[in-house]
Amino acid sequence: MSAALRLTIRILASVALVAAIVVVYIRFLPVNGTTVALTMLLAILGIATRWGLTESLVASVAAVLGFNYFFLPPVRTFTIADPQNWVALVAFLITAVTASQLSIMARRRTAEADARRREVERLYALGQAMLLSGSVRTSARDAVNSIMRTFEIPGAVLFTKAEDEFFRSDPQTLTISDEQLRWIATSEEPLIDHQRQIAIVPVRLGGQVLGSLGFIGSTLSTAALNAVTYLVAIGIERARSLEEGSKTEALRQSEVLKAVLLDALAHDLKTPLTSIKGAVSHLLAQPRNAEEEELLTIANEEADRLNRLVVEVLEMARIEAAKFHPDRSSHGVAEIVSAAVKAQEESLKDRRVELQLPERLPTADVDFEFIQQVLKQLLDNAVKYSPPGSPLTITASVAGEKLVISVADRGKGIPEAEQARIFEKFYRGRASRDEVLGTGLGLSIAKGIIEAHGGRIWVTSQLGQGSIFSFALPVTKKEELVP
Amino acid sequence: MSGAKILVVDDEPQIRRMMRATLTSSGYQVDEARTGEEALEKFREFQPDLVLLDLNMPGIGGLEACKSIRAGSDVPIIILTVRNTEKEKVEALDAGADDYVSKPFGMQELLARIRAALRRAPSSAESGPQSFVSEDLEIDFAGRRVRVHDKNVRLTPKEFELLRHLVAHEGKPVPHRELLQAVWGPDYGDETEYLRVFINHLRKKIEPSPAQPKYILTEPWIGYRFAIPEGSEPK
Repeated sequence: MSAALRLTIRILASVALVAAIVVVYIRFLPVNGTTVALTMLLAILGIATRWGLTESLVASVAAVLGFNYFFLPPVRTFTIADPQNWVALVAFLITAVTASQLSIMARRRTAEADARRREVERLYALGQAMLLSGSVRTSARDAVNSIMRTFEIPGAVLFTKAEDEFFRSDPQTLTISDEQLRWIATSEEPLIDHQRQIAIVPVRLGGQVLGSLGFIGSTLSTAALNAVTYLVAIGIERARSLEEGSKTEALRQSEVLKAVLLDALAHDLKTPLTSIKGAVSHLLAQPRNAEEEELLTIANEEADRLNRLVVEVLEMARIEAAKFHPDRSSHGVAEIVSAAVKAQEESLKDRRVELQLPERLPTADVDFEFIQQVLKQLLDNAVKYSPPGSPLTITASVAGEKLVISVADRGKGIPEAEQARIFEKFYRGRASRDEVLGTGLGLSIAKGIIEAHGGRIWVTSQLGQGSIFSFALPVTKKEELVP
Repeated sequence: MSGAKILVVDDEPQIRRMMRATLTSSGYQVDEARTGEEALEKFREFQPDLVLLDLNMPGIGGLEACKSIRAGSDVPIIILTVRNTEKEKVEALDAGADDYVSKPFGMQELLARIRAALRRAPSSAESGPQSFVSEDLEIDFAGRRVRVHDKNVRLTPKEFELLRHLVAHEGKPVPHRELLQAVWGPDYGDETEYLRVFINHLRKKIEPSPAQPKYILTEPWIGYRFAIPEGSEPK
């Protein structure tokens, strides 16, 4: 039933009620004018409270006319001159207006309270739905569905910034475009279009924008919109932190597990080697004939080689298991270089090592032991792959924010095709793989260590001239430097 | 010291077998223990002159066993372990070990270290200073006694030797290598972490404020120096 039709019916009913009172009092209950006027007043009051202003105004006019014509003497005429008439009309009108206004206000309050209660109930339902969801994705999907269901709106869409995903309750939400949602998440200004019944609001939590939420056919109050987005934000953040928590926990556990496994493996591989090495080296120390000595020497050397392999494989595994966190502190180049040269004293004894270390070089934040290991590896390689007695050069310089340390040899050099591959695990240079003992792990370990420091390692080489292995490390930041 | 008694503590039977064979053939008496607890028991019964101690063992483990032995004895302890990070070494030395050898090792190296550990007080009591007295520190080198603020302080033999060598060269920086060779033996020289740990122990025992030492001073990059505060003198 349309509103206009309903109003017409009510107006007719009001007039009919007034007419009924007139008929009743004229035909069946002859009373005095005052009683009739009071009855009319009650009827108008009733109409005003029940239906509203228009109906009660029409009823008032009808009542005045009826009262005047049938009850005020001279009866059956409209006597406008009589002041009683005016009193009655004004009384009826005031009653009609006041009562209808009061009742409209009361009804509006009730409706508002009702709407608010319903919103709170729906928010509560939404909150519960959000708390029960698992991952970010499922809670986002649950959020749009719950909003649609609990607020009885045709559609809702959620955009989450971190995942850069759109969760739509159904295709008709496409009236809100991806770009619009992205824009609201960036601009952080809500967009409420009453005409199209569309609202898009940023989803914020603690000053951080998580995304945006779009409502189709929304009649929600601003307060309710805010509450909904807040609930959605909490739900998503909760799901995200749970997800991340379990992820880091799983990662941590697998790291711990790997570390324990590697330690156990190291122990189990080295224990038999210890018995072999101890026994063989003891036998070697006794006087032997040439054949026995040769065989024992081989066993001894191979035990050493196996040990080196075990150490390097485990080290590689550790660095790869991401368990390797450099224990950094500020160190100078001279300190690192002199420690490494000193440690390699034995293999460098017939070499001239030229140091080109400018004074006043910045320091670098490094794990001293590991960087020293890298430098030792480069020195060891330089000795192994260059002719006996040829000189080596260690150079340090600064390039931008990086400290570059290089080791140059005068060996055969490395063919260009192999230069990239020598940092790969187990790769060994074609020309020397049969001449030089090694595991093919040294440079990949060095690479792992340098990269864990946020640095870079590379080689430049010319066949017949020699090779220069360099690594760059970030220098200690200025503000951390002690003046 | 041939015929010296060595207690081998390791949970691996093959290693104990190998050690028994090689050490016995080198003229030592050997007894074995499989755990830290058994080591403490055997230590009382066998009364070894030296302990070879594995770190990674079930039960109380090597570090705890080392601390327990050190709490009641000056016997040299050499740690044998598959781990060889600086942290592990410092932990072992801090627990009271005298030396540290990582597995696998050459037997000749281990025998050299055993000989060095058994060779007590290489610089005999006759050479060097006899005593040192200042307001808060008294050292009697002949009687191997140290008093700080009139209270007796117990130093391990290695700590005592280190102190003796520093006092003998008072006022002059003594390089790391020289100190290591004087106290541990001629095969040593690069184990600067040993010095860091032992100097640290010494400072805690004799310095009034170990963080700002006044006797045992660090000479960066070189070594350590024994300084004599005003009003004291070696005799």
